[in-house]
Amino acid sequence: MNQSFLTTIFKRSIIILAMFFAFFPIYWLFATSIKPFEEWASWPPVWFTDQPTLQNYRIVFFPEAAREFATEQSGSLDYKVSGSAWKAFQDSAIISTFATFFSVLFGTLAAYSIVRYRTGGENYPFQFLTVRMMPPIAVVVPMVALFSVLRIADTYFGMILAYTAFTLPFSIWMIRSFIEETPAELEGAAMIHGMSQLEAFIKITLPLARGGILATALFIFILNWSEFLFALVLTSGDVTTVTLQVANYVSASSGKLYGVQAAMGAISTLPVIFFGYIIQKHLVRGLTFGAVKR
Amino acid sequence: MTKTADNGAGNNAGAGIDGSNIHPSLSESQKRSLVPFNIALVLPAQITIMAVVVVPTLIVIWLSLSDWQPTQAVPWWHGEFIWFWNFFDLWYDERFINSVVRTLAVVAICITVELALALGLAMLFVEEWWWKRLAVSVVILPMMIIPVDAANAFFMLFNDRGPINHLISIIIQEPFTFSWLSHPTWAMVPIMLCEIWQWTPLMFLMVLTGLMSLPQNQLRAAIALGATPARIFRKIMLPLLGPVIGIAVLIRSIETFKIFDPVYILTRGQPGGATETISMYMYNGAFVYFRMGYIAAAALIVLVLVVSICLALSKPLKRHGG
Repeated sequence: MNQSFLTTIFKRSIIILAMFFAFFPIYWLFATSIKPFEEWASWPPVWFTDQPTLQNYRIVFFPEAAREFATEQSGSLDYKVSGSAWKAFQDSAIISTFATFFSVLFGTLAAYSIVRYRTGGENYPFQFLTVRMMPPIAVVVPMVALFSVLRIADTYFGMILAYTAFTLPFSIWMIRSFIEETPAELEGAAMIHGMSQLEAFIKITLPLARGGILATALFIFILNWSEFLFALVLTSGDVTTVTLQVANYVSASSGKLYGVQAAMGAISTLPVIFFGYIIQKHLVRGLTFGAVKR
Repeated sequence: MTKTADNGAGNNAGAGIDGSNIHPSLSESQKRSLVPFNIALVLPAQITIMAVVVVPTLIVIWLSLSDWQPTQAVPWWHGEFIWFWNFFDLWYDERFINSVVRTLAVVAICITVELALALGLAMLFVEEWWWKRLAVSVVILPMMIIPVDAANAFFMLFNDRGPINHLISIIIQEPFTFSWLSHPTWAMVPIMLCEIWQWTPLMFLMVLTGLMSLPQNQLRAAIALGATPARIFRKIMLPLLGPVIGIAVLIRSIETFKIFDPVYILTRGQPGGATETISMYMYNGAFVYFRMGYIAAAALIVLVLVVSICLALSKPLKRHGG
């Protein structure tokens, strides 16, 4: 297509504008996280701080710094959030890792069975999608009831179970689309030469689909790390997650801990951004259950 | 590895490239012994789903017929059985009805805006230039963020002393310190903007994937024959993009319908339930007012509603190979 120079300039400027809009809220989050207390809510707001500080990050991670800050600013702020964010990061890491492991393991097995053996027929995979369609809040009330009876509310086990179940539809559908791209003839040949079905699956198809399964694992990890609703209702203090910690800072002191909440927000979202770019070309496949491929 | 460009091969289960995806070379006896093996493979997934989704769904049916509240200090299976009163009450519960209507409006507005922006933006990304990769990476940044943190950022942007108000002050030349988040109507603006900001990139990527797989020959032929851009868009692009757009709209509608995180962070449904979406209404009902039985009834209604809409929508999509 031959287009005039002006058209090109126009198109590129719109793209730069879009890039600006996409980036600005994230810039604001990171910029606020390094602002000193006086600039958190000053008027006019500070767009570029000229006295950057790591104080907010210290408050997030070190209780001493938080206490010191609370005594210094007492009167202007009622500092409710105590304890360090380490616990949230540690719990999120434990829960997300285990839930991702089980989700991808169960998902791979089920996806393989569905692709190679047409288990359950054409409509069987759709029952997993229904899990993703229903608003989680609708099952949360009975889940709270059930978990309290089983005494797994507010435990790692309960959280891992819930996260595994609600990411399974993504695992199954995403891995299914990867396994569909591997040929079945190799397995058939191997079986004729005496491999068992399980061996054929593990030794032949699994290595072929490894990259896809790894991408799925990162994708599921992102989902688990970002989850908020289940964490909110299925925990009551013993277990906490980074998303809960963010929400705590936002609501603490009637939402006036801007610098601290920005620091927590920035630091909690960094690993997810990193993983997201690693699997960038698989993101669409994941979020559309393998329906749209790149 | 074959990179199939057909949008939505996901549904032609196992049909693969030439039907070679299922084992063709197995004898009858082997096939019979396969049954336990393939069932065994789906069991872990199936049991997990049963435990966490199916059992709770059965419990919700019982709860919806009871007036159980955790504050009554009886276990949930001892809640007072009140037949269908919960459903009767819900029908006259304005706050519930309003939250349903509000949620549907949010879905309609957000999806329309997201789709329009995504289509327009994707058109600009069809050609190649040297910093295109950088541009794509920056444009899709919002969808990489934890939703709670996106809401967190918008919480600060729309603060009464935040940069949005500062910008407006500069434009209208007088101090503007409107508190968006505590206004019953205007508080929906930051909530929807947050949702749109975060998920337009996904819509954009889906549309772009579809656009890039359009047959280039047809487009070149149309241009050579002197078709106007508008006509090319309407006659070639839209029909071919249809399935992709269908999937994008369906998936985003389902997700937007569940909207919770931004509402919780930005307003919690306040003031007075004026910004409650369905999820927020149910959260407040169950975990702020502790009316578990009543909310279970609402949950059941929503479940039936969502599942039937999805079934109705997924059939035509399946038929179109999408």
